[in-house]
Amino acid sequence: MSNMAKILIVDDDRDLVAVMRLVLEREGYRVVDAAGPGEAMVKVEAERPDLVLLDVMMPDATEGFHFVWKLRQRAGAFFAEVPIIIVSAIHDKTELRFYPDSGDGSYGAGEYLPVQDFLDKPVDPADLLRAVSRALGLVRKT
Amino acid sequence: MSLGSSNSLPVSAELVERLGWLIRLRWLAVAGVVCFLEVARRVFPVRLGLRQLYFTIAALAVCNILYWWRLRRLLRTRARAVPPWTRLLARFLLPPPPGGLGDIGDAGQAAVFANLQVAVDLLLLAALLHFSGGIENPFLYFFIFHVIIAGILFSRQATYVHASWGVALVSVVAAGEGLGILRHFALGGAWAAGAYRDPALVTAQLLVFATTLYLSAYMGSSIADRLRRREGEVVVLSMDVAHKAETLAAALDRVSQAERAKSQYMRKVAHELRGPLGTIRTTMSVLASGAAGELPAAAVELAQRAALRAGGLAQVTADLLALSRAREGRLAIELAPVDLAPLVRDLVAEARVAGDRAGVSVALRATGEVGQIAGDTAALRELVGNLVSNAVRYTPGGGTVEVRLARQGESIVLEVEDSGIGIPEVDLARVFEEFYRCDNARSHSGEGTGLGLAIVRAAAEQHGGRVSVRSVVGRGTCFTVTLPALATAPRDLPAPPPV
Repeated sequence: MSNMAKILIVDDDRDLVAVMRLVLEREGYRVVDAAGPGEAMVKVEAERPDLVLLDVMMPDATEGFHFVWKLRQRAGAFFAEVPIIIVSAIHDKTELRFYPDSGDGSYGAGEYLPVQDFLDKPVDPADLLRAVSRALGLVRKT
Repeated sequence: MSLGSSNSLPVSAELVERLGWLIRLRWLAVAGVVCFLEVARRVFPVRLGLRQLYFTIAALAVCNILYWWRLRRLLRTRARAVPPWTRLLARFLLPPPPGGLGDIGDAGQAAVFANLQVAVDLLLLAALLHFSGGIENPFLYFFIFHVIIAGILFSRQATYVHASWGVALVSVVAAGEGLGILRHFALGGAWAAGAYRDPALVTAQLLVFATTLYLSAYMGSSIADRLRRREGEVVVLSMDVAHKAETLAAALDRVSQAERAKSQYMRKVAHELRGPLGTIRTTMSVLASGAAGELPAAAVELAQRAALRAGGLAQVTADLLALSRAREGRLAIELAPVDLAPLVRDLVAEARVAGDRAGVSVALRATGEVGQIAGDTAALRELVGNLVSNAVRYTPGGGTVEVRLARQGESIVLEVEDSGIGIPEVDLARVFEEFYRCDNARSHSGEGTGLGLAIVRAAAEQHGGRVSVRSVVGRGTCFTVTLPALATAPRDLPAPPPV
């Protein structure tokens, strides 16, 4: 199973990370985690994961968003293309709205977040696995 | 607050206003007397001292012009310092003002002026009488009008003085004519030639006249006094009301702030609870799935139950957050024009998925161009979404849900009608309360936080609208939401951000 994808989970809720790790590793994925955006950026560089699972609300509303933009702006195709799944509630207290990038330029700057998918909290294990394989499949298709 | 200012005119202002009235009244009297004289000498078989009468009336008119001119000067120089003797005079001549004697001020001059006018009026009236028969003239009793006016305008003492002045004048005329000192202008005709000389008759007339005048003085003053006292009471009352209104406004302010604080606190608590509850639910469902190792069936069941309960709590916190968002509202500048029809269409389509699963048909009837509303898209989605999903949830299989959207004048009306279990009459009033679930709802569908309708109502009110419900148990329920439509033409507004 060494060719299974490596997934980076970024979330400050250690218990949730433990549960998601359990579910993903059972499926054969390799899992690394980071507790905050700083650590996450380091891990992305070092580990070059195939997918990033990002909690958008850590520890407050905007850090997750900033992380996505910072990541995407780094030089290199890897950073522009690594699939990101946002894990957080959509109908949230944060007023920001975010959408997966449809890729056809129909959204203006500031209206979308360049991520591939989003998952509602509380996370349903089946949904999680589906979203992960979908996101990884997207990459493999191109 | 306008109620806080005094509602009564200070006495001086009242007096000055009355002076204008008095002058106008006098013009009326002049005109009246002239007309009457012209008619009288042609119609009645009486002889009148016309030359003298017209001279007297001319004098009255001249006086009135002088009064008018003096009044204008008085109005222009009201702010001058008042010599002490006019204050004293004012205190004597004027009635006690309702709010106390504090505002006598420049009333001194006005008081003297007014009293002078009335005194001169009485003199001229006596002259008119003298030239038209003296004690024989029935118009003798017109003195009453002047005394009553004095009673209204002046103090009780001043009024009695005027009454006495009138009695004195008439007595002088009667005595003078009777004793031959003054010429008598006999009316002639039906009036007895010597009545004015008969001391018994004259005395009787004078006595009745004096009594009438003093009684009029008394009544005029009393009535005016009572009116002024009432006025004073009204002023006190209105100040009291103003004060109470201020207190109430302050109390309302405090209550609103408390409400806002409560909502903010609720939001913070819900936010804190949310993450951990979600994690517990996920953990429990993963445990139940056996991902951490095969569990005995009983353990799996327990884990599933725990997952469900945690999920329920997570839903409650999500609803509480939605509710506090709806309650705290948005600043007016953050509201954007929202097209209601596509939003409703979306949510109906979503509900149709659940409806198909449950065997409940969901139909939408949107008639005509509905228009836009200034609003918050998320809150409106909550509003419509809750109503439609409730309708589907509480309608047994085979039933129908109809969503109607229409424009009615300045408002947009949304109706969600179902053929479901209905709401009992006793619950109808409480159904919008937080966490309130009626018994039949609870037994029909275990899930449900009791917050959905509270969110609907808060969202409706946030948009300046309202929501109402009618229902029959076992037949169905209809929720009606009325929202104020955006007045301007949709084309003039910038496009709303995509949702």
